[in-house]
Amino acid sequence: MTDDYEHYEAVVVGAGPGGAAAAATLANNGVETLVLERGVEAGSKNVSGGLIYAEQSAPYTIDGLFPNFREEATERPADEYYLHNVAGNKVKTVDMTDLHHTDTEWCDSVLRRRMDGWLEDRVHEMTRETGGGLLTEVRVNGLLREGGEIVGVTCDELDPIKADVIVAADGVNSELARDAGLMDWDEPDEWFQGVKAIVDMPEGAIEERFDIREDEGEAHLFSGDLFEGVRGGGLLYTNEDTLSIGTVFHLDSLVAEQAEPHELLDALLTHPLLAQWLGDDYEEIEYGAKLVPDSKKVAHPSPHEGRLMLVGDAAGQMQAQGPIIKGMNHAVTAGALAAEAFAQAQARGDESTAGELYEQKLRTEGVMDKLRPPQYELASVVGENERVTELGERVVNSPLGRAGLKVAEKTGVLERGFNSPFVMSIMPDTKLPYVTIPTALGEALGDRVTDENTIQPPDLADRIGDLTYDVGDPHIELVDNSFAASGDAVSACPVSATDFGGGCYRDEKVKTNGSEEHLVSLDTQPCVECGTCAIVADTDWDHPAGGKGVEFKQG
Amino acid sequence: MPDIDPTDHEIADLGPKIKDVEDVQELEEMLALEKGGEDRVPVKTLIEDRIEKLSGEEETVDPSEVDLADQTVADIANLVREVDDGDVLRDMLEREKDGKDRKSAKEQIESRIDSVEGSDEDESEDLEYVPPEEKHPDLDHPTADKQWVHAIEDGVYEDMWVYCETQQGDLINVSKEMLGKARGLMDEYNEEYDADEQVIAVLIGDSVEELAEVCIAYGADVVVYLEDDRLSRFRHKSYTEIFCDMARGAGHPYGRADRPEEDWRDYDEPRYTVFPATNNGRDLSALVQGELDSGLASDCSDLFIESAMISNPAKTGRPGEKKEFDRILHMKRPDFSGFEYSTILCIDKPFREFHPQGASVIPGSFDLPDPDPEREGEIVEHEMPLDDEWFRVEVTDFDQLDSGVDLSGNDVVVALGRGIGDDPTEGIELGLDLVDQFEDADLGLSRGVITASYQFAGHVEQYVGMDRQIGESGQVVEPDVYIAAGISGAVQHKVGMDESDTIIAINTDPEADIVDFSDYFIEGDLFDVLPELTESLEKGELDVKALADGGNTTDD
Ligand SMILES: Cc1cc2nc3c(=O)[nH]c(=O)nc-3n(C[C@H](O)[C@H](O)[C@H](O)COP(=O)(O)OP(=O)(O)OC[C@H]3O[C@@H](n4cnc5c(N)ncnc54)[C@H](O)[C@@H]3O)c2cc1C
Ligand SMILES: Cc1cc2nc3c(=O)[nH]c(=O)nc-3n(C[C@H](O)[C@H](O)[C@H](O)COP(=O)(O)OP(=O)(O)OC[C@H]3O[C@@H](n4cnc5c(N)ncnc54)[C@H](O)[C@@H]3O)c2cc1C
Ligand code: SF4
Repeated sequence: MTDDYEHYEAVVVGAGPGGAAAAATLANNGVETLVLERGVEAGSKNVSGGLIYAEQSAPYTIDGLFPNFREEATERPADEYYLHNVAGNKVKTVDMTDLHHTDTEWCDSVLRRRMDGWLEDRVHEMTRETGGGLLTEVRVNGLLREGGEIVGVTCDELDPIKADVIVAADGVNSELARDAGLMDWDEPDEWFQGVKAIVDMPEGAIEERFDIREDEGEAHLFSGDLFEGVRGGGLLYTNEDTLSIGTVFHLDSLVAEQAEPHELLDALLTHPLLAQWLGDDYEEIEYGAKLVPDSKKVAHPSPHEGRLMLVGDAAGQMQAQGPIIKGMNHAVTAGALAAEAFAQAQARGDESTAGELYEQKLRTEGVMDKLRPPQYELASVVGENERVTELGERVVNSPLGRAGLKVAEKTGVLERGFNSPFVMSIMPDTKLPYVTIPTALGEALGDRVTDENTIQPPDLADRIGDLTYDVGDPHIELVDNSFAASGDAVSACPVSATDFGGGCYRDEKVKTNGSEEHLVSLDTQPCVECGTCAIVADTDWDHPAGGKGVEFKQG
Repeated sequence: MPDIDPTDHEIADLGPKIKDVEDVQELEEMLALEKGGEDRVPVKTLIEDRIEKLSGEEETVDPSEVDLADQTVADIANLVREVDDGDVLRDMLEREKDGKDRKSAKEQIESRIDSVEGSDEDESEDLEYVPPEEKHPDLDHPTADKQWVHAIEDGVYEDMWVYCETQQGDLINVSKEMLGKARGLMDEYNEEYDADEQVIAVLIGDSVEELAEVCIAYGADVVVYLEDDRLSRFRHKSYTEIFCDMARGAGHPYGRADRPEEDWRDYDEPRYTVFPATNNGRDLSALVQGELDSGLASDCSDLFIESAMISNPAKTGRPGEKKEFDRILHMKRPDFSGFEYSTILCIDKPFREFHPQGASVIPGSFDLPDPDPEREGEIVEHEMPLDDEWFRVEVTDFDQLDSGVDLSGNDVVVALGRGIGDDPTEGIELGLDLVDQFEDADLGLSRGVITASYQFAGHVEQYVGMDRQIGESGQVVEPDVYIAAGISGAVQHKVGMDESDTIIAINTDPEADIVDFSDYFIEGDLFDVLPELTESLEKGELDVKALADGGNTTDD
């Protein structure tokens, strides 16, 4: 019976940048390739901040694999890059353009629906030539095994499919990586949560308010005291005629502070500093969110198992270099390297060596060193030590520390530090670099912003109301509905909030026989599939079936 | 000058336009224009690709020489279709084996070899019937109870029979859908085969005669019905016996001995039978088709009649031979949850006839036709003795399965939201008390209540379920009066109720969204306001109807 299953040389799961690069490279090598994507169109499930890098040192770049990528699938180049250190109304802006351009061939802002949708067409054409193709609205729900060996994938919508190689490019919360036992979803400190709003800009407003031409763009980053002490920061990128404005926080910190992600985003949106760009009429087109892996902690050193190879977010290959976020480019590189490894192994007549070869390439091509900088492993031992952090905080906040900052600025040490890839790669995951130092910088050196920000971001109910959903069966099951086990999700879920009845997670006090229980209930209809509650609540977490669930139009 | 001047267009618009251009000459001209004009690289690539594609298509590939490694499996499938020479095909097979050795490619070539050469293989003699017990002596009397096989030999089969299921004295929609479809199929059939076969509607039940005209209006030529008090509810034994007795003509070897001739028909069994894939229809279809010893394609979503070229030796009788069977009902049914379809054919084989060709049809698969009251047809009452044995099973009691609550027809809907959270059971009780004050009212809920972890006491639990949800993913209601207590008015709830004539909201929060689209807003705790409302209605102090008609308003 099992021999009747459809067979392809390669099956690629997920059509984000990682899957697209893998499929294109497989097709270029003449490998019969089938790509399975759960969204109604590639990109309809994906959210990113939006800067895609092409690194000079990388063996593969997206425009190398897909000619005309920049002309047809991106928004604007990110020419300039600023970090704003905020303390109340005072802001100290540091120009980080140098760091941004270090090892950068080019860097453009993107919107994922447009970008991934464009890639989908190319990938389909290319893979069809090999006898395969790209199918949307198919959700892979697990690995097909025979005698304990991985031999293919199983899907909600199709019969199992066998393959000589399976490339799992299914993003953060990869069900295949979980099924293979390569990744787990246990520790909040291994992830960031990204939340983003796409804001409509009247014609000509971007050029006028940022003082740039139509073919220019900017990136602005924000840190300091505007996020209730939660570790992380904000971002603003210019698109063709919209802005991407978002926040990225360490998930453990978000949970520890019981912070509401949408309120933190609002804190950024309504800060006086943004008034110059947002004007008086605020029109939000889309609200979205997604978990982001922290490669320093989770990039898998050996991301393969039998015929399965993990690439991109599925393997934790998402690098946060200070405020610079590099996930898409590494997903592209890894996808192409995995494909290259398989093609080589196949040519040598031993496909079983593909995984090893891929791992080796990640190392020799320098990808692994970027994802898990050796210097970080050393520095974190000291940097994340609580006493050191405390000490650091006290020094920075002392008069002496303040004086030091001023000296640092005068002598240029400050800009140099912010523009040093080395310093940025060893930033410890503590409040020190995210909150304490930027706040101190803003206070000691910042200029006061006098603009008034009058905009009113939509409330959560309206944000949910503006999203498009194709309602399916609940895809997340609450295993333990006690508040103690799953209550963190009420605040951490980007579409839920304490005292909001319209979210996924709701906090409820239920009376039973005289005693009162503190519970949470879950309705998955407003879910944006960010993956947060897979980690912070006690759930059985799956993605919705193909084509079901939220559909992002921007991403 | 080409129709499209690329320099007039944005890149994004050009893609689809260029795809539609079929003429290489025109494309060359476009390319020249672009080069002389804006000279955009992507545009040139687009046009060049298209030129390459079109020129490529014209090249003919020689199957005996082409490098198969350059061809996709689909290309190979197309290629072999043109080849009739077995040697060329065998050579291709070898080349594929030496080259990419793709299983699917080899299958394509092999199956072509089979079809070009199959029929030349040794002409076998005429088949001879060997009863199964002789053919398979090693098996333990494989057909010991052969007596129930009631297939006939050299039978005459005509017409399409449609079993028309009724519920509560009416035809259910799928019965009408099937009649409409059968009408279309048989009209085409009669044209194609120059025949005069009919659509026969079958009605069995307690008082079904009155529905015969309806069946005709929906497309039947003849309605055969049988009525009996004992048939008021579906019971499979009696219904199967009756259907089969109707189906078998006079003189049928396994039919009732005294079955009389009938003017309107002159055949042994129906050619086609169609049943609804409802609970009862599935039950009946399986039993009837089994009793008539034919097959059944269950849960079909499409039907069409065509001839079919068959090479299966079980059907043709001779390996390697192809035979065309005509008038075959193609019965399409979804597999893999609708991702793929199989088409089921029910075809006679040597020494065994498979008729009627039977299907059950998923409700909603075909359009509901417009009835034509002018249509004429024949109505035939079927007479036969009904054996008491068939009614041994007595229906002593039955319950109308809860097909959910229909809130749409009420004058008043009282809807409760998460505002009941402090005491959910009492909240529902208060809502029900208010419902009782109206003649024609019912209780609705927001989704927020239904998906909550609230625990309800047993006596109100039955009122809390998806079947009372109002909104985008629930029901849409437009009552005269909609009372929303403790509901915030999320847009997904709003779309289910904002067409109501008068909306009265009760909420502790004057800023709640629902206030924006309510006619009356009562600011207050629903645990106080609902009992007050109920009380004043009871005492006749308040006339909600009058409110709805724009009468006096009460204070808040
Ligand atoms: C707010 C935010 C800001 C970010 N900013 C940046 C940035 O500026 N620059 C940058 O480079 N990166 C950024 N990232 C990270 C970046 O988005 C990811 O690293 C990148 O998208 C990873 O690519 P991928 O191909 O591995 O996975 P994804 O892009 O997530 O693609 C996975 C694909 O697999 C599909 N899929 C998942 N499961 C299944 C299944 N079971 N069956 C079938 N299909 C499935 C999904 O629908 C999806 O299309 C940001 C992320 C966020 C959330
Ligand atoms: C794709 C999708 C489909 C959906 N489909 C539906 C649908 O079909 N139907 C539906 O209803 N929802 C639907 N929802 C959910 C909807 O968004 C809301 O979450 C839901 O309607 C909220 O229910 P609620 O008003 O009862 O709860 P809440 O929003 O929590 O509102 C409770 C209200 O009660 C008030 N209140 C509290 N205590 C009291 C008191 N003691 N007395 C009076 N007032 C009080 C509060 O002020 C508040 O306004 C859908 C959501 C999505 C994303
Ligand atoms: S329910 Fe879970 S996955 Fe869905 S949006 Fe909330 S936290 Fe994210």
